[in-house]
Amino acid sequence: MNVGLPAVRKLGSLVVALAGLCAAARAGAGAILCIPNYDYSVEVDGSYPRNATLYQSDSPGKYFIDVPACKNGLLMDLHDKRVVAVPRDLVKPVDGKLQVSDSPPSGATAYALSVDGPIVQFQAEDRKVRILRCLDRPPIVGEVEFNALIADRAEYREAMKVYAPDAASIARMNKYVKKVQLDVFFATWCPHCKEYMPKFLRVMSEVKNPNIKLNLYGVPKGFGVAPGPWQGRNINSIPTIIVKIDGKEITRMGSQPGATPEVELAGTLDAVK
Amino acid sequence: MSTSMSAPTATPALREAPGSVPRAGVRRWRRGVGHLGRVAIGLVLLVAGVLKGLDPAEFAHQVAGYGLLEPRLSSVIAPALIVFEITLAVALLAGAWPRLSVLLSLVLLFGFIGIEAYGLSVGRTEACGCFGAYVQRTPAEVIGEDLLFAGLALLALWGLAGWAGVRARRAATALAATVVLSIVFVVASPSLPIDAYVTRLSVGKSLKDLDLKDRVPVLAAGRHLVVLLDVSDPGAAGTAAVFNAMAARPGAPGIVGLTPSTEQEIDTFLWSAVPAFEIHRVDRDVIKRLYRKLPRCFLIDGGRVTAVYDGAPPGAEELLSSEAS
Repeated sequence: MNVGLPAVRKLGSLVVALAGLCAAARAGAGAILCIPNYDYSVEVDGSYPRNATLYQSDSPGKYFIDVPACKNGLLMDLHDKRVVAVPRDLVKPVDGKLQVSDSPPSGATAYALSVDGPIVQFQAEDRKVRILRCLDRPPIVGEVEFNALIADRAEYREAMKVYAPDAASIARMNKYVKKVQLDVFFATWCPHCKEYMPKFLRVMSEVKNPNIKLNLYGVPKGFGVAPGPWQGRNINSIPTIIVKIDGKEITRMGSQPGATPEVELAGTLDAVK
Repeated sequence: MSTSMSAPTATPALREAPGSVPRAGVRRWRRGVGHLGRVAIGLVLLVAGVLKGLDPAEFAHQVAGYGLLEPRLSSVIAPALIVFEITLAVALLAGAWPRLSVLLSLVLLFGFIGIEAYGLSVGRTEACGCFGAYVQRTPAEVIGEDLLFAGLALLALWGLAGWAGVRARRAATALAATVVLSIVFVVASPSLPIDAYVTRLSVGKSLKDLDLKDRVPVLAAGRHLVVLLDVSDPGAAGTAAVFNAMAARPGAPGIVGLTPSTEQEIDTFLWSAVPAFEIHRVDRDVIKRLYRKLPRCFLIDGGRVTAVYDGAPPGAEELLSSEAS
């Protein structure tokens, strides 16, 4: 049989293309895309490491858990009720997401998980891991520093990143000359605070005015009867921001849907020149 | 002028009780006011009872919400109260034992006022449920209304002095029939196919009509099958399995779950039932206007309801074919 050179070249190209397609399909198959979900906290041995994060995948029932102290990533499969250790070289960042291999190597370590009401828990690499809603974490109670708060609470830190305050309002606040004190009463267990506080904290991170002083107070559940700096100040709802100018209470701010704290605050300051 | 000459003659069944009565003109006017009050209160109680009877389970929930009765006791007291209210309404409208009926309605109204005042004192702001789940007013508004109704009842009491109403046997027969019919109504109403008329959810409604526009913005664009479900219900896992299978079908609409349950209940459901669709929490007073019984589903396309499915979820074939059409 006489086969010409062009035909052999075509066949060769076809084989190469097919091989490439197969390789691509193998690489793509078994990979899930995961995005961080800051509505949940990852508790490791009773504490909340700063970068321990739950990622939600595009495959229902599958979640990736990144515990920095663990050698491997952890792929949680709620259908199989288990967590599989995924070598970190099988986890790749892609466009702000994580691509995680859904087919870990044979012999990968697997851990049983249990669901205890709203909490998922398991033991991995000798660490006790619990996944719970961030609002259910033990609350911050009492006075707290700005940096300590955002270091501790990923849900605040991450939501701050996506809020874009009104630049004109920030500029007006930066030029204010009177002494302003903002006493902020909020709760890390409060869903309204979870919506509002990141906006407010982002605003305060952009205000560079030494005349404006910020005091943050975490409020416990049952704050109506619990002792603390919130008592005797007529705090009926949270968040409550008491705005004092030259030592005198001028107004109180609170959360409402679509609130823009910088606009409200700048308006208050403008009214008291 | 003797009293017998000016006695009402329109209905022979009506009897005049003995007693001193002023001049005929004044008496007629006073009696007219009394009848007006009696009929008005009767209509109010009838409407309130029937509206509550459209969703007795919700009324039981609202009664339990005051914290005065255990939930199990509320589930017995609430339907009994509906039957009592309807029966009292019929008694007033029919003129059966009028003074007793008006007095009982006064007791009922002042009872409601007391409960609402208690609700206000403990900071309760939720709707009272006096006119069922689909008419919502605050406790303060309810107290104002009930005081007005009590005023009408007092007018009836004053105006009907000396009027004995219809004959006792006839009254007893009417009331016995009303008790039986209202019990049947309360028991059967959850199964009646009237959801489209008594809830806000029906074909053609917009997201704004359903009060979901800002609460679940993901529904504004595209085609979605919305599942209203109680994730704390033991049957919710089965419901999720059905919708998971549907979500896996190519061409199926996006599925979105809405629930009045708490965040903790939602998490418990997410981890254990593993739904393949998003679940959003919606305040109970908002979502309750969309159903009488859960689960209930609806198809929404471009922000407008195109189909509603009561009870059993729609078949995947139906959803796929409706997309094709």
